[in-house]
Amino acid sequence: MLTDYIPIVIIMTIALVIAVVFIRFSTLFGPRKPNREKLSPYESGMEPVGTAREKFSVKFYMVAVSFIVFDIEIVFLYPWAVSFLNLNGEKMLYAFIVAMIFIVLLAVGLIYEYKKDVLKWD
Amino acid sequence: MLSSQDVKYLYPFILLIVLSVVTLFLDLFTKQNKKIVSGFSMLTIAAVIASLFYILINDPEIARTQEILHSYLRINRYTIAFSVLSMLGIFITFLASKNYLKKQDINFGEFYYIILFSAAGMLTMLYANDLLVIFIGLELMSVSFYILAGLMRRRLKSNESALKYFLLGAFITGFILLGISLMYGTGLTKGIENPLNLTAIKSNPNFLFNPYFLVGFALFLIGFFFKIGLFPFQMWIPDVYDGAPTVVSGMMSTSGKIAAAGTLAPIIIIMHPSDLTLMFSVIAVLTMVIGNVVALVQNNLKRLLAYSSIASAGYLLVGITSMNIHTLDAVTFYLLAYTFMQLGSFLIVSHFEGKTADGKDFSNIDIGYYKGLAKRSPVFTVIFTIYLFSLAGIPPLAGFWGKYYLFYAAIKANLIWLSVVAILMSVVSVYYYLRIIVYMWFMDSKTEIPEEKNYLKGNMLFFAANVVCVLGTLVFGFYPQLLFEMFKLIQKII
Repeated sequence: MLTDYIPIVIIMTIALVIAVVFIRFSTLFGPRKPNREKLSPYESGMEPVGTAREKFSVKFYMVAVSFIVFDIEIVFLYPWAVSFLNLNGEKMLYAFIVAMIFIVLLAVGLIYEYKKDVLKWD
Repeated sequence: MLSSQDVKYLYPFILLIVLSVVTLFLDLFTKQNKKIVSGFSMLTIAAVIASLFYILINDPEIARTQEILHSYLRINRYTIAFSVLSMLGIFITFLASKNYLKKQDINFGEFYYIILFSAAGMLTMLYANDLLVIFIGLELMSVSFYILAGLMRRRLKSNESALKYFLLGAFITGFILLGISLMYGTGLTKGIENPLNLTAIKSNPNFLFNPYFLVGFALFLIGFFFKIGLFPFQMWIPDVYDGAPTVVSGMMSTSGKIAAAGTLAPIIIIMHPSDLTLMFSVIAVLTMVIGNVVALVQNNLKRLLAYSSIASAGYLLVGITSMNIHTLDAVTFYLLAYTFMQLGSFLIVSHFEGKTADGKDFSNIDIGYYKGLAKRSPVFTVIFTIYLFSLAGIPPLAGFWGKYYLFYAAIKANLIWLSVVAILMSVVSVYYYLRIIVYMWFMDSKTEIPEEKNYLKGNMLFFAANVVCVLGTLVFGFYPQLLFEMFKLIQKII
């Protein structure tokens, strides 16, 4: 029922209080020596304003591609793992083998990446 | 669950997937020697073809459609025939491509195993008995093709071709998925347990009259029309085939088309949407007109062959529109003849193709280069002439019988006007095929190009591929019944 959500409300309140207190205290007591770099918006170390046609190293894309592959692996394996316990006997073995084939094929991709020096960063 | 009954029919899949992964490993762990990879990939395809024939010969049960894996897949003689044809196209490409890849500096191992992966997609599509399985196969095939089209990664034209193909293909994928989901939703509300299954659709014929289902089916058809290259969706074909490596264009225009048409034709037979006959006929006519008329003014041979492949898609749709017992036989035969003549022509173009001095573009693909070819390279001129005559539909070559069966099926379905238009359009096509022949035999080249000697030296496999294509064109031309006897098809024609 609705009362089940009370712990969530409590944890959200605590989080809110902590966040407000921390930010307020650091603005009140922290030292402040601003310069141009510090005042610019945070963009993970990139220049926030500039031409959109900048060249990236192709390695970023490689990492992104391999990330997506393993991301999708989780998407497939999570429901598989959840429903795995509901199976029994022969069906369980079958489900296990099917998932293993999937993982082996993904591992083939990883070996390909490794041999093509995609994971080497320099 | 996998029963032994199922495994028996799945050997081609298992062989193909395991061996293509082995091919990948061979490329990774042998240094710079593509001979092993190329040999092993040919072996893989040969093994798949052999296992398909093994099923065909040892299993009389496949005379009726057998369902495999909870009826997600199915197999019958047409499935095997289409699979063998698309594997044959790939095999011939592998045979002929070694020198071309070296010449154009794209001798990557990826060429071989990405084609093998696309072959797995084709088999999946052709075996599929479920719309989603068809979708998976189609995507596996298409994604491999996007990569193959851009194999020359330092050339602008190849990049353009790959990007164009990818953007349009990805867009069309959305249409197919939307179509499938509409059909699924309609089926569920009608209380069909698995509405994507072709068997379930077949047993509920009144299903097709539901407007939502029709919209879904139309969207699904749009996707396949794009892949085959039918009229409003044909714009990508010339650009993609022009920019892609020539052997890859040849493979895409034969094996890819066989897989798409070999999947679409049985679906149309099963659903039998007789209300759509007029729509199909109009699209077929427009496709043939666009393909043949635009091909008349092409000087670039790769673009010319691309437009001729659009025209061939039009002829195929004439056959598919008939939707009777002759359809599948006619489509099978046409695709067989088409494999030999179209792939052969692309191979000949790839043989003479070079690259410009700065290495950024293809050279020698203009029709002007073929002036006086008969004096410089008589053997390949004769071979090319056979392909072109076959494409033009001159008896007694295989291309003639291909068109004959397609138009016969259409006439039997009372689509006489459609067959008349198709025959007229195939007369138009004779002009541009004969133009190349005239250039080769009766014109003199102004520039001095050295005579080709020792065409066999270091070129044995390429020559073997051409021998296969020429023999196919001739043998099936003189004895067209051979195909039907080979695959024990119905043989209702004549």
